[in-house]
Amino acid sequence: MEAARQTNDAVDPAVGAARDALFRRVLQFCGLLRGSGFTVTSGHIIDAVRSLPHIDLLEPDALRWALRVNLVGSREEEATFDRLFDAFWRNAAPLEEVASELELEPRPDERNREHPETPPDLRGGPRQWSPDGVTQDVDLEARWGEPAPDLEALLRELARRLATRPSRRLQPSPRGRRIDLRRSLRRNLRHGMDFVELSRARRRVRKTRLVLFCDVSGSMDSYNPFLLELMFGLQKRLGNSRTVVFSTEATEISALLRQQSVRQTLGEIARRARHWSGGTDIGGALGLLNRRVLREGAPRSTVAIILSDGYDQGDPNRIEREMRALRRRVRTVVWVNPLLGTDGYAPIAKGMRAALPYVDHFLPAHDIGSLRALCRDLARI
Amino acid sequence: MADKSRAIFRTPETVQEAFAAENYIADRPLALTVMLGAELEKPILLEGEAGVGKTDVAKVLAGALDTPLIRLQCYEGLDASTTIYEWNYPRQILQIRMAEQDPALKSSLQTSIFGDEFLLSRPLLQAIRHPGPRPAVLLIDEVDRADEEFEAFLLEVLSDFQVTVPEIGTLTAALRPLVVLTSNRTRELSDALKRRCLYLWIDYPSPAKEREIVRRRVPEIEAALAEQICAAMQTLRRVDFYKRPGIAETLDWARALLRLGALTLGPGLLEETAGCVLKYHDDIERLHAIGGERILAGEIADEREAEGL
Repeated sequence: MEAARQTNDAVDPAVGAARDALFRRVLQFCGLLRGSGFTVTSGHIIDAVRSLPHIDLLEPDALRWALRVNLVGSREEEATFDRLFDAFWRNAAPLEEVASELELEPRPDERNREHPETPPDLRGGPRQWSPDGVTQDVDLEARWGEPAPDLEALLRELARRLATRPSRRLQPSPRGRRIDLRRSLRRNLRHGMDFVELSRARRRVRKTRLVLFCDVSGSMDSYNPFLLELMFGLQKRLGNSRTVVFSTEATEISALLRQQSVRQTLGEIARRARHWSGGTDIGGALGLLNRRVLREGAPRSTVAIILSDGYDQGDPNRIEREMRALRRRVRTVVWVNPLLGTDGYAPIAKGMRAALPYVDHFLPAHDIGSLRALCRDLARI
Repeated sequence: MADKSRAIFRTPETVQEAFAAENYIADRPLALTVMLGAELEKPILLEGEAGVGKTDVAKVLAGALDTPLIRLQCYEGLDASTTIYEWNYPRQILQIRMAEQDPALKSSLQTSIFGDEFLLSRPLLQAIRHPGPRPAVLLIDEVDRADEEFEAFLLEVLSDFQVTVPEIGTLTAALRPLVVLTSNRTRELSDALKRRCLYLWIDYPSPAKEREIVRRRVPEIEAALAEQICAAMQTLRRVDFYKRPGIAETLDWARALLRLGALTLGPGLLEETAGCVLKYHDDIERLHAIGGERILAGEIADEREAEGL
């Protein structure tokens, strides 16, 4: 602080110039961060600059840490930040060079414009799984249709019924059946403790937390429109639910689904989940779900909904092990299999067979009719 | 001091020294974050796996400053009334009944009934009303367990440090508390809350740091045994368990082995005491399948999958 104040008071032009240069560099760096997808508000920048007088700039990494604690918001951002920081501060290259050096991916909308895609044929029957994990660009927009009005209503109903579970706790309600003694006392203090009015309470409604675990491997391609509608619909209505898409890898897209513009989001999802339409490794993906999403401290009241046809190239034993672990971590496991509705389908795929003992509800979903049935069944859970 | 600085910690070194005196080994980024949090009056948000010592940061901070630690444990359904204040109704009623008998009490009833003695301060109000001389430490533990509605409410309190009690008026903190929020990251916190905070991810400790922690927290233990325990922990963390053990487990294990009078950690003993370290049946089965010898020999390739989600 002393040092800082001295520089403020002393009119040493060299120090002043150095300080201004540092200040400009920090501002430039904030601009770079913002361009790379960080949320950097002016409040962030002010606090970052306010931090500077408190640190010893000669100490290795002090500047990095001071800026980092101010400007990042997650572990992943910390890693990206470090990469950007190194590139920006180690070599004093101009901003554009840094950006190109890091091969910052262009914004999704720009990319889509540059590479128009031919929409895949969604009419074809379900493909078998592809042999390898595929990394490719998928045009999700082509697979998205505006939900039909009755589907919209159905989803609203589904969300409402899934979200309602009576809690042990009470909340004030004029039409509640219980008497809320504490509130009644408070209200009647003004009447000199003669009980003129009674306050009532009812059981609080508890929100169920949903984890939607969607298979987006190649064999599920023809169900993409349905999957997308379900994911967007549920995430919008049950804010605290989480959505993970998987094929050979798994990607959480909850935050993306919450954004307003569906079309913009689709491009972003395709960019993030580059394994879309790839192979399938249900066991591995479930492992990630168990270890990362349903980690210690996650509420046990969660309902896990798995949407998959059960075709898998992985090890069935792994699926069995991870399903057993999943079953212990959540309240209910629902498996929605789009093949279940088709004639003559029996769950004989090895992966599906391994998982079935741990599934509480095994439900079909392949068209609007079965979706309505699904809604009815899910609401009963 | 004349300027706005609170001069609680002048440099990261002061933080490290103060924490070391409380037997907590703080690395540079943490020390710097704590210092900046105090200087900029910003809450610190610590994320990390369970058992890496997030909560301890607040405890140690309070100990180092010799101020009270005010703890708010979050859970689903936590609401404003249980975190700010409640009126002590039974006592108020008693007072009213007494006043009915006693005319002297009766005249002052109107002012006395909403006096301090009937106000039950909950953690947030306690932190705001803390008189000093040094700021209190407010620990908001496992904030990811609370609902999003509560997060929004918290945001309001953390920006102004004032609450309004209708019968009394608005109470503002004379001395802004040092706020530490912890999260196990079972869900992503809102951007708005993160924006208010200084963010730090706390990772598992390096081998050297872990040895130092064991040496300080379990001073009775033989150096050789401590070394073995820490080496085994580093290996265990490479296995893809459902719950990877943290520092809390290391210390439990060290104390358990000390109590058992063990001089060295053999494969048999490792498997027998696995319950100190691993808390899932599946994980313990996995350990038995791998075998204590291989763990102690450190022959485990890193199974941690690329940070997928």
